[in-house]
Amino acid sequence: MAKKDKSRQKKFDTRIDFTPMVDMNMLLITFFMLCTTMIKSQTLQLALPTNEKIEQEEQNQAKASEAITFIVTGKLTEVNVGGKMMEISKPADGRVFYYEGQADTENPDAFKEIKLGGGGEGYIRTVLQERNKEVLAEIKKLKERWKKGEIHDSTYQALAEKARNNENYKRPVVMIKATANASYADVVSVLDEMQINNISRYQLERLSADDSTMLKNKGINLE
Amino acid sequence: MGKVKIKKKDTRIDMTAMSDVTVLLLTFFMLTSTFLSKEPVQVITPPSVSEEKVPDEKLLSVLLSPDGHIYMSLTGSKDETLKTEDLREAALKNAVGQWNSLHPSKKVNLTQEQVETFKKLGTFGVPMEKLSEWLNLEMEKRDNMLKESSIPIDMNKDTSRPNEFQIWVTAVYKAMMEAGIQKDLTNGKGIAVKADQTTPYDIVQQVMDNLQTVNMTKFSLMTALKVVED
Repeated sequence: MAKKDKSRQKKFDTRIDFTPMVDMNMLLITFFMLCTTMIKSQTLQLALPTNEKIEQEEQNQAKASEAITFIVTGKLTEVNVGGKMMEISKPADGRVFYYEGQADTENPDAFKEIKLGGGGEGYIRTVLQERNKEVLAEIKKLKERWKKGEIHDSTYQALAEKARNNENYKRPVVMIKATANASYADVVSVLDEMQINNISRYQLERLSADDSTMLKNKGINLE
Repeated sequence: MGKVKIKKKDTRIDMTAMSDVTVLLLTFFMLTSTFLSKEPVQVITPPSVSEEKVPDEKLLSVLLSPDGHIYMSLTGSKDETLKTEDLREAALKNAVGQWNSLHPSKKVNLTQEQVETFKKLGTFGVPMEKLSEWLNLEMEKRDNMLKESSIPIDMNKDTSRPNEFQIWVTAVYKAMMEAGIQKDLTNGKGIAVKADQTTPYDIVQQVMDNLQTVNMTKFSLMTALKVVED
């Protein structure tokens, strides 16, 4: 009898309890989820003119007929930034003005106000689209061909780049200026319009004396 | 008597499947994650339609807080050419060297230990004269000091007397040139200006002007993605 008892094998439960394992995994997942950045920041490339100023001024003179100047201004409001009260311009609070060609302090009607973004008459996008329509028309055609799969992605990019820089088209030269108190976001959204409207020639510039006079005439606070 | 038998159910749930799923998710997060770098100030970048991504190597990023503090951080190459720590060390040595030759009365001398500390730091941004003091601090105090400091900058156009911001940028350029990868800095992708959307434009402009003075005329602005319908 005793022998028989000993030979009987005890059945072990082979299942392992996975609950602690799951607990630990959940913790780790939470950690990784909180510490990761899924979306990488985007960048907007910008090229400033080199320090040789003379050449650039000549260029400006030559293209005065195609030139269009946007001036971004700010509107200061008191905002709590990290416990400190600071006077800053909030995005989209500032007003944007523009004029074509040379600055003309005598003619206040040529100095017009414009709204940021797109949406029809009186918006910056409409103004730029009108001036860059030849390039935009070609890019639209290219885009349709690309959507149909007639041209390859890289070919499309190359052709679009070529269209943007095509000398035969009427293309605007955009000057972007901003007052000291303008919000950075507004300047970036004007720069953004250059990307949206496929404008290849644009530059950031400082306010000239004429610009300041015109802004003051409109009652804009420059500081 | 027929007693009603209550069947005893096993209340334990088999966690194996659950475990499988969590391990999968964990693997996914581990492989795709890039950690947030610790920054002294939180910056919300303005939105833009640009789809170009920030490069994850060979990058000098200039951080601008809304109240005008300037910080820098450096990322080296992924391969062996110039690793992040080597880049930081080389840039630090170049910057300190140039500072000492320009300001012989206010020389900065760093010990090897301090250089080692600097190599591990993601973001820097204290004036040269306080660099040694800053590197000696404990981690928490160092972060607090960083919040209050900034890399000094002014409207200097004279390249023979560069300000500290210009010293640092040229130091990074030199460090990259020694490794033969300076093209990556000057092609427009290597320098990224990360400013908060409420930063006053004059501060951003000052940084841009300074970059222009040291001949870094191509750079990029960091933005967040925005979608615009045609």
